[in-house]
Amino acid sequence: MKMNKTILGYVPEESPLYRIHPFVRVFFLLVVSLFPMLINAPEWNLAIIVLAIFLLKYSRVNLSTLKIYVPVSLSMGFLILLSHTVLGGIHPEFYVSFKLFGFPFYYERIVAAVDVYTRVLPMIFLTVLFLSTSRERDMLVAMRWAHVPFVVTYLVAMALRSVGMVIEDFSIVRQAEKARGFDPQGKSIAYKLRQFVMYIIPLFALALRRSDEFANAIVARGYSFTGLREVKRPDYILTQYRFRVRDGLLVAIISLSLVGVLIIRFGLGGLTLEGSLTLQWLELWLKGGAA
Amino acid sequence: MDEQQIWQVEEGETRSAGIIHIVITALLIGIGAVVGAFGSFSLPLGFGVNFFWPAIAVQNVGGIWFGAWGVIAASLFPIISNGITGTPVYVSLAYIPANLVQALLPMLAFRYFKADPRLNSKRDWIVFLASITLGNIFGALYSPLVVLKGFGLLTAESVPVFIWGWFGGNEVAGIIFGVILLKALSNVVITTNAFVKRWFA
Repeated sequence: MKMNKTILGYVPEESPLYRIHPFVRVFFLLVVSLFPMLINAPEWNLAIIVLAIFLLKYSRVNLSTLKIYVPVSLSMGFLILLSHTVLGGIHPEFYVSFKLFGFPFYYERIVAAVDVYTRVLPMIFLTVLFLSTSRERDMLVAMRWAHVPFVVTYLVAMALRSVGMVIEDFSIVRQAEKARGFDPQGKSIAYKLRQFVMYIIPLFALALRRSDEFANAIVARGYSFTGLREVKRPDYILTQYRFRVRDGLLVAIISLSLVGVLIIRFGLGGLTLEGSLTLQWLELWLKGGAA
Repeated sequence: MDEQQIWQVEEGETRSAGIIHIVITALLIGIGAVVGAFGSFSLPLGFGVNFFWPAIAVQNVGGIWFGAWGVIAASLFPIISNGITGTPVYVSLAYIPANLVQALLPMLAFRYFKADPRLNSKRDWIVFLASITLGNIFGALYSPLVVLKGFGLLTAESVPVFIWGWFGGNEVAGIIFGVILLKALSNVVITTNAFVKRWFA
């Protein structure tokens, strides 16, 4: 399956998800990312992860391109566990499940770590899903469709474009330094730090030079600052996307599911950690059924 | 050009926000996003907090050189850089006040005390170091205590690790890269159209 490199990640060249209006995809990210904040029951948060993986597969995303997120997710899990257990202090009032190198691992703390991690993980998966299925253009279309002011969309468009340019510049500077014998392979942190200094100055200098070129090009095309704020612009890009009934239905379903989660959580007291299957399992595993 | 002339609007000189400032904001977001993502991948502590975050220099010098435009860029680029490294979008959004203050304080300090961005005198150094340190203290307290605790991501006992992680990671990188950038490029920047003497122009 062919993937295209964008500034934010890799996206499939063809995907059934592209048939959905970009606004719906942004709306999905913003609303569904709220769910793990409202849901404490780990099994439901794991269900969101399963949904994200299903959508990644359905979108024809090459999952091997997502390997970079594995260390991030694992280190985050490790840090959460560490901050809740080893760095969590001594609490005689808690139940000691086991000791490791003399550190007591409390049942209550492990449960809290599992709760936090299973809430963070779906948010990461949803961000990855969004970055793996959205091109820069999609974000701009979503903003224009939502009537975000032209100057803001324009700034975002230029910012996204400049991220790509900086990455390109970064690579050129790195190659130039390598060509002059500056090789970071197997070198100390101090060496790499010095190398980073040698990247950041050329990057800034190039950006300063670019700012003049960019501004002149924009002014030459008749744009002015007040024009960016006040003049109504023809939205050519929006004519390339149609917001269909299906998209409206999806927005309604996503909105209703948020309302549903809110009602179950705060109206009916559901989706809590206390009533979850995970807690029962952890209790059995870490406390051996002790009260 | 002495430090008084740098910030002084001369008689007859008209300054207004223009396209160049929108462009420089976009470019700062670009640089910050790339440099920030690099830092987040290299020494992550978790949730967008890093033991060494070179992008703080973009926030500091952005505010000093480009005023409110630098502050806007400083507030926005971590959303992209954190997003690339998988930080949840709402956590990144909640960090905005910390990132804003980290750029705003050096911006205000240099304008209020008429300090020279080229760091020529001891006074300029003090203004720079004090303003970035105060900004980092705010960021280091706000982010773990308000954001991460607010989202229920940390226990009270683990908060100090994140406070020191944020502060140390920003302070060391801010001093190293901030000083180098100000020393190397301020002379050029203050003569460009993009340089901001007041808030927006």
